[in-house]
Amino acid sequence: MTTRILALVRKEFIHLRSDWWLPAFMLLGGLLELVMVAWATSRPITNLPILVLDHDRSAASRRVVAALENTGTFNLKGYTHNEAAVNAAIVRGDISAAVVIPPDFSTAMADPQGRPQLAIILNGAESVSAAEALRAVQGVAASLNQNLVVQRLGLPAEQASGFAFSLRVWFNEALKETYYTTPAEFGLMLEFVVLLFAALSLTRERELGTLEQLLVMPFSSLDIIIGKSIPVLLVAYTDFLLMLLVIHFGFKLPIRGSLALLLAVALGYMLVELGKGLVISVVSRTQHQAFLLVMLVGMTDLMFTGYAAPVESMPPALQWFALLVPAHHWLTILRGIMLKGAGLSVLWPNLLALAALGAVILTFSLRFVRRALD
Amino acid sequence: MKHILAVARKEFRHIVRDRSTLFLVLFTPTLLLVFMAYALTADIHHVAIAVLDYDRSPAARAFIQQITAGDDLDLYTQAVSFDELDRLLLEGKIKAAVVLAPGFSRSLLTLKGVPLQVIIDGTEPESGAFAVDHIARRAEAFVAQALGAQLEARGLDAAALTPLDVRVRAWFNPGLKPRNDIIPGLISIVMGMPALSVALAIAHEREHGTLEQLMATPIGRAELMIGKILPYLLVGLVNVALIPALAISLFHISLNGSFALFFALSAVFLFSILGMGVLIGVLVRTQAAALALSFLLIFYPGFFLTGIFFPLASMPEEARMEAMFLPGTPYAAITRGIFLPAVGLDVLWPYVAMLIFQGAVFTGLAALFFRKKLG
Repeated sequence: MTTRILALVRKEFIHLRSDWWLPAFMLLGGLLELVMVAWATSRPITNLPILVLDHDRSAASRRVVAALENTGTFNLKGYTHNEAAVNAAIVRGDISAAVVIPPDFSTAMADPQGRPQLAIILNGAESVSAAEALRAVQGVAASLNQNLVVQRLGLPAEQASGFAFSLRVWFNEALKETYYTTPAEFGLMLEFVVLLFAALSLTRERELGTLEQLLVMPFSSLDIIIGKSIPVLLVAYTDFLLMLLVIHFGFKLPIRGSLALLLAVALGYMLVELGKGLVISVVSRTQHQAFLLVMLVGMTDLMFTGYAAPVESMPPALQWFALLVPAHHWLTILRGIMLKGAGLSVLWPNLLALAALGAVILTFSLRFVRRALD
Repeated sequence: MKHILAVARKEFRHIVRDRSTLFLVLFTPTLLLVFMAYALTADIHHVAIAVLDYDRSPAARAFIQQITAGDDLDLYTQAVSFDELDRLLLEGKIKAAVVLAPGFSRSLLTLKGVPLQVIIDGTEPESGAFAVDHIARRAEAFVAQALGAQLEARGLDAAALTPLDVRVRAWFNPGLKPRNDIIPGLISIVMGMPALSVALAIAHEREHGTLEQLMATPIGRAELMIGKILPYLLVGLVNVALIPALAISLFHISLNGSFALFFALSAVFLFSILGMGVLIGVLVRTQAAALALSFLLIFYPGFFLTGIFFPLASMPEEARMEAMFLPGTPYAAITRGIFLPAVGLDVLWPYVAMLIFQGAVFTGLAALFFRKKLG
């Protein structure tokens, strides 16, 4: 049996060598994607174009504008005295925000009972920039407020900060965005690589009619399944190791928990996805179909990885469904080990769920694929 | 013309012949949009938090009640120690925690500030930041309320605590809900799927050796390419009609601009992106390679370079130039422009010109390489 499987594995690698695009993509595509994501998200949002409509033109209003510029978030496109110009710029999408300072701003600042007003117009058509602009403006407003309160209520300056609460971020002290986007990208990339590779390998032989040739040779269906699976696992695991190296050394993502556990669980998770990939390869008649199915399955799983919104915010039915998605458990484990330093004592429910799902999926897919081949 | 239709009919049969292929080709873009929109823009609520109350005063209890009222934050438990909080955060049972220091009510009532600490799980900052926002807003209201009486005695009102009156207006998207602009942006990504299909279809002919047979017929190269594109253009247009309907009914976003303009400009985008698909199909020999290359050129960059998730203004100049050469970038500007500010051609024409230029370059290059490889 081993010699037959080895022969199949060798044949598979000959294919890969002659059609080097796919393995190259499998190995480097994931890496490239990770580098691009990390590059894009590790940069702070800066340089947002902004217009100032200053009706007051006082020292106080200039201080506000200077404070806004000092946040580093904005690129001051200039001053205008014309409301229509602001409106047009927002509609055209030329600016992310506009700050309007009313004529009585400095008077209200000086009056102990005064309530100086500041109007911010945001371009909601780009909510990411608008939200960042709002955050920066609110920061400036909060410090202005604090100065005013201290001044007006005659509080000692060192007390002033007490009205804001202190914030601590655990597991990600600097609130680095790469810390939470990268594990999700990384985990999902691995799923795509395994699914796509596994799904294409059998479908391709079927489409080209070479599967029949394999079946008339003295290979059992199990030989074929194993022979097809080994190269997939080898390439995918190499890819996993490469990506892990890059995100750990290149992007400084910590591995706070046990590396051995991470390496072992990754292999187990790949087996589960391999099972899904084999089922896809059997139900699709063409590579085109297999590819579209992989896209749909992969994107459904994305919903349950907590990439943008936590699973806890979903309706109860979807939360139950999430428990059946291997990627959901895999990402909890991946984040737990890498960022939280969690071990078996914390992660065992997810490990157990992954193992149970794996057993069911692999048994089903083996029987299903064997029946389809025989 | 007859030749083009013949090729289109043949390609069409390939798609229709098998019901699952038909279903997948036709509905993948729309289904992907629904999945991605759901995954990336779902509303956050019911975030579990824990409270560690060292003060145990009536004011502290009232404060805890106030921050967990409503369905935004759910009180998971009243913890008794920091170790317990640590454990809960580690296990992912809670996303944030609020710690009230021993002197909470006393310092609040003597205007000494709010000794309050908020801890969030930095591995899931979306829900953490959400919790922080809500706690901050409720804390502010609570402080103003609690201090109201005291301030009155001094002849001030609650507004004296926040003298600066900041008025925020977000145009086109009053609540700054990401879904309102991200979903139109995502359209530019999922509409790349027909281009992946056309790249695969051409590579398929190549892989099976049927492209040579086609070339032996009196069908010209341009006719062959246009014939291949047509069915996928049709598939794309069906999706262009389906997607706004679904996005509006499922995600409650609104199409403020003209649907006719959206439809027409989507057709221009499809011309450009399908041209890119044909170019990819012509360049490679196998479907696997076509798949890999289309992923790298069509699907990935959509997420990073089109400005949907990361503002173009914050990118380095070179990246911005590069981004403009991918059809997804101008198209994302078009979809968002039509869905939200409801702008017309007077604003969008540079993007349309860019798409037409790209389409011409892609199809021109495809024709050139086609001749070299097979002629």
